[in-house]
Amino acid sequence: MSNKKIAIVGIGEVPCGIYPQRSQWEILYEICTEAVRDSGLDKDEIEAVVTVAPQAQPRLAAEISFGKLPEELGLKGCKDVCTCNAGGASTSNCIRLAEELITSGAARAVLVPHVTVHSTIPMDELIDFFAKAGMDLQWEYPYGTTYNAVIGMMTQRYMYESGATPEEMASIVVSLRKWAALDPNSMFFGKKVPSIEEILSSPMISDPLHRRECNVLADGGAAMVITSAEIAPKVTKTPVYKLGEGNVFFTACPVLRDWDMMARGFTVSGQKALSEAGVTKEDIDIWNIYLAYPVAHPIMMEAMGLCEPHQGCKPFMEGRTWPGGNMPWSTIGDAVGRGHTGSGVSTATYVDTARQLMGKAGSRQVEGARFVFQNTSGGSGMNNIATVWGKELI
Amino acid sequence: MTTQYTKPIPAVQPWTESFWKATKKHTLLIQKCGSCKTLIFYPRKICPNCWSSELGWQEATGRGKVYTFSIVRDMVEAQFMPDLPYVLAMVELDESIRMMTRIVECDPASVKIGMEVEVVFEDITEQHALPFFRPVEERLRTARPTTEKAAADSGTPTLMSPDDYRTILYDVSGAVCRITLNRPEKKNAINKRMAFELWDAFRRVREDANVGVVVLAGAGGNTFCSGGDLDIFPSLTTHHGSLNWLAHEGLDVQKAITECEKLVIAKIEGPCLAGGLELALCCDLLYANESARLGFTEINMGILPGWGGTARIVRSMPLFRARELVYSGRKDYSAREMFETGLLTRVFTDEQFGEHFEKAVAQFASKKPIALRMAKEIMARSAEGGSIDTALAVERNGIQWLTYAPDVQAMMDQFRKNVKS
Repeated sequence: MSNKKIAIVGIGEVPCGIYPQRSQWEILYEICTEAVRDSGLDKDEIEAVVTVAPQAQPRLAAEISFGKLPEELGLKGCKDVCTCNAGGASTSNCIRLAEELITSGAARAVLVPHVTVHSTIPMDELIDFFAKAGMDLQWEYPYGTTYNAVIGMMTQRYMYESGATPEEMASIVVSLRKWAALDPNSMFFGKKVPSIEEILSSPMISDPLHRRECNVLADGGAAMVITSAEIAPKVTKTPVYKLGEGNVFFTACPVLRDWDMMARGFTVSGQKALSEAGVTKEDIDIWNIYLAYPVAHPIMMEAMGLCEPHQGCKPFMEGRTWPGGNMPWSTIGDAVGRGHTGSGVSTATYVDTARQLMGKAGSRQVEGARFVFQNTSGGSGMNNIATVWGKELI
Repeated sequence: MTTQYTKPIPAVQPWTESFWKATKKHTLLIQKCGSCKTLIFYPRKICPNCWSSELGWQEATGRGKVYTFSIVRDMVEAQFMPDLPYVLAMVELDESIRMMTRIVECDPASVKIGMEVEVVFEDITEQHALPFFRPVEERLRTARPTTEKAAADSGTPTLMSPDDYRTILYDVSGAVCRITLNRPEKKNAINKRMAFELWDAFRRVREDANVGVVVLAGAGGNTFCSGGDLDIFPSLTTHHGSLNWLAHEGLDVQKAITECEKLVIAKIEGPCLAGGLELALCCDLLYANESARLGFTEINMGILPGWGGTARIVRSMPLFRARELVYSGRKDYSAREMFETGLLTRVFTDEQFGEHFEKAVAQFASKKPIALRMAKEIMARSAEGGSIDTALAVERNGIQWLTYAPDVQAMMDQFRKNVKS
């Protein structure tokens, strides 16, 4: 059994922020060396590098695709290298690729890094990129779609279906920012958590989304070292095992994705991950949900049966999802709390899943955490990849 | 007058050409599989249900309901800015297919999920019309918004509404228009949005024949403008991004001010630096309070004024003093010193500034806008430094034209009567 499982054994991360003076390569050096040192493995034992595709950074994408990373780092044992792109879900696919390399015997240990430096990309190019990415150039983009607008439409529909109030929607941001305020890797670390009133009084960007319900583009990087479940306990005292996974693909175009399709898909993929892991939702200590905007959190809450139908905002409103609550939720604060690093928020979420299970999460540490449920999603919400991670194999 | 459609046009595929051709006839088509009879949106090359290539079209009823929508107010690409705010929506047609669209001819506040809508077409190019939707219920409808093309054809090329300005204030009262840089928390620094809005505002005021004087000021009363916002710097890291900031936003704003055909008066209080000074140099008269501080700080970052600063400063004051401003990078040139050196029109004490300034504005505003307009034009051409004969010809012909303008002729009629009698 265990030879079919993998574990995260090392993590490295630079705090999320805005630092145009730092080069992408400087960050890559830092996170990769930190992750490898943390893993207990020697650098030459890394046998493959699978990098989260650097969205909106074509030059870096070319360099990394063509093998610059193992060369820069002098990974003499490296046998395979590639990048993997599925938007915000990329990290899940990178991990699965690592899993296949490891379980097939092609590589014993795999490095999975991600870096994004948004701040040196011209603002008009960023707006242009995020206006087009995930949109159809024939059927959506000509009408003036943006990510914010598409999420605004999803939020509008969720509020219509569930009866959720603007205050309840804003409470999700409060919860996410509570975690972020405690997280030294967040761009909102140590910052005051805005009140519901402050969130609702920020300017409207795309009704019903206020500015403080949208993401701040930021720079950041994180890396993981993954190895087999057999090797893991020999090199580290805190291996973090991948126990289960469930996937669903919806649609590329947001206009083709309806409400029931998404809710059902979240449920099916989430249940699959839980059952593959051999746990139930009651066993989950942390729900590390990555969906890049507030609206999908209550949808996930409902889809996983953690509340009554249409009551997905309640646990946020009641503070049950906050640090110290009985349902720790998105311990990095998702993209809204962390800062949006392209596909990197999902990498950072995995790194924090591992950090929590390693017991290294500092003031955010969820005491006694054994199992973490984590998801990722790509594009404008094209899919859902649910995974379950644990401190031990079961 | 025709205007180029600047927004993205649909990226048509060979198998979707029929759909777009039909839109030009204001017909909405739905693709239908001849084999499995599935209605398909968006149109594909093969049926996504059964992979048959036997695909045809049926005409849609054009009616449906709003599935969801969002009022887009900010954070869009430049070409969509003139449309803000706009209602982006997903509409579910009676045929049970859903498409992305906009809701038009309707107050955004009236749009609701479930609202019944019908298709209308927006002609955008010779080959394309975009299917938009409007409320079925007539009482919910507003007048069709003017498109860029229609606006250009009717001679009002202004693209935004002053209600949508977020970085400037625009206020017209009688013959005076006040355009106020309104980012006091950022020392009224110029960002891309402000550049766009300034351009729009100065184009707008040009159309208002009753306005003779424009006052350009900074909000807050203690800063005119500190220059370009540092937020724009990431966009200057590419060659084309930087060039566009200078050649598009920069030149457009300068031209909009210098060619707005109104007397533009800069009201300078506090810092007026870098890009802020460049805006001031585009104006016709510069009034400052004693606390005003001027300078070009660009060289401190290894660059130079790029919004007309070097070109205009050497034409605005003695050359050997002008050069010092550019070379020194100092931001503490006092209003008094600049006045003595010949740059400013007048300087008043801080206490008296408001009162004296308004008195001056009122004086200019009492003049005929058409005379102010002609004076601006004649002096601008004259100051360009052509030959004296050219300058005299421009003056002579300008004044001759003015003399025979209708409202001056009304006065002349009095003289004619007097001569006869």
